[in-house]
Amino acid sequence: MRGLDDDKPALLGRRVAPGITLVIIIVVSITLMMVDNAHKSLSAVRGSLAVALEPLQVAAEIPGDTIDYLQQYFNRGALISENQQLSQKVLLLQGRLQKLAALQAENERIRALLASASSLDQNVLIARILSVSPDPYRQYVKLNKGSADGVFVGQALIDAHGIMGQVTNVTPLDSRALLISDANNGIPVEINRTGLQTIVQGTGRRDTLQLPFLANNADVKVGDLLVSSGLGGRYPANYPVARVTHVAHNPGEEFLDVQAQPTADLGRGREALLVWNASTQSSGPGAPHAPPLSHSSDADSTPSDPAP
Amino acid sequence: MIIHRQVGALMIGFTLIISLLLILLPLPATLGALRPAFYTATVLFWVLMQPQRFGLVAAWCAGVMIDVLYGTPLSEHGLAMAVAAYVVIKLRPLLWTFPVIQQAAVMLPIFAIYEFVLFWIDGVAGADVDLWWRWLPVLSSSLVWPAWAFLLERIAEFEVG
Repeated sequence: MRGLDDDKPALLGRRVAPGITLVIIIVVSITLMMVDNAHKSLSAVRGSLAVALEPLQVAAEIPGDTIDYLQQYFNRGALISENQQLSQKVLLLQGRLQKLAALQAENERIRALLASASSLDQNVLIARILSVSPDPYRQYVKLNKGSADGVFVGQALIDAHGIMGQVTNVTPLDSRALLISDANNGIPVEINRTGLQTIVQGTGRRDTLQLPFLANNADVKVGDLLVSSGLGGRYPANYPVARVTHVAHNPGEEFLDVQAQPTADLGRGREALLVWNASTQSSGPGAPHAPPLSHSSDADSTPSDPAP
Repeated sequence: MIIHRQVGALMIGFTLIISLLLILLPLPATLGALRPAFYTATVLFWVLMQPQRFGLVAAWCAGVMIDVLYGTPLSEHGLAMAVAAYVVIKLRPLLWTFPVIQQAAVMLPIFAIYEFVLFWIDGVAGADVDLWWRWLPVLSSSLVWPAWAFLLERIAEFEVG
């Protein structure tokens, strides 16, 4: 029979009092966290650990994927009707695209007259959303494209309806994007109706964003569309971000209480687009060797400029 | 129950991987907030049962795995795990005298300590997530503890007999 003291945890083969071990662990942990927070020297360690843990991530996706697959397998009627809807939608979008090509050409001519440097050309990479954050206090998604595919920190993530977030971590095989609903994320926007510039902040809840810096006399109404202004250089300009859902003036408060709902389907979609300007890629801190997309033969990546 | 014989590292690793999968499974946001901390419970179970094999350093390493998977500052969960494991080691004689149902009552403050360390580090790091539902896993984890500990005991018995 073993005594209680024989069960003391061992460190490197010697019995050490747990109190001493704990103090060492606390000091090491705090140092690690400060180093990790301050600069990126630990990202290689994190990256290799993440690659080692990749099979777990993939395995955790299997049940959900299987259910999706079985639903599709046994539901032929739904697939057919979805296919019909999609071909109708493609027709509709192609119709609009015809007009867009002319408009884009006109816009570029006018910009050339103004000697404006900004370009409409944007590169696009389709990424699959692997998982929505398992940590309910942080709002991010994991994507199946990593630095090997040309993803770099700072790329914006959009879906069919608007901006979703931006890439914050990249490993060789996958990347992580912070959603605009994360409490730590702010995005510069303008109100589409008036052009008023402001900032939208996340709240930590997926369906609510807030606009904390609108003065009491600001012209903002429920239903106003907020589009990204492109200020700050992180997010591309003129993509829809959110729609105002709530405007209240609290007497005594300096700012209006304004809430908005993201236009993008945060946490529901399975696919998203990574968007970046050709010029920001060279200044991106990540993957300097990322191949330019036009030379990439990746089947599911497409250059975005619509053919006239 | 006290498991006197040493449980194999393979067995410990297997239970840890299963519980990691349980916390990584994609769930809707409301269910996800309620999800018990299976992984923490498994780590603390092994610290309680096999401290000579699975001590503070192992608990810290296990926590760092979550940091890598969640993208939190490296060793945030590691530190929280080590602190909770330390309390478990200190309370071992008390925990061992209780049947698993009563153990759950002692595990509740330990899970709360774990969550509090995370909350504190998040606050210092500026990731200000002051949400009341943060504390729900503390409750659900200790509710799940009796069943989870019973299951892990049976798994351990399967190997050591």
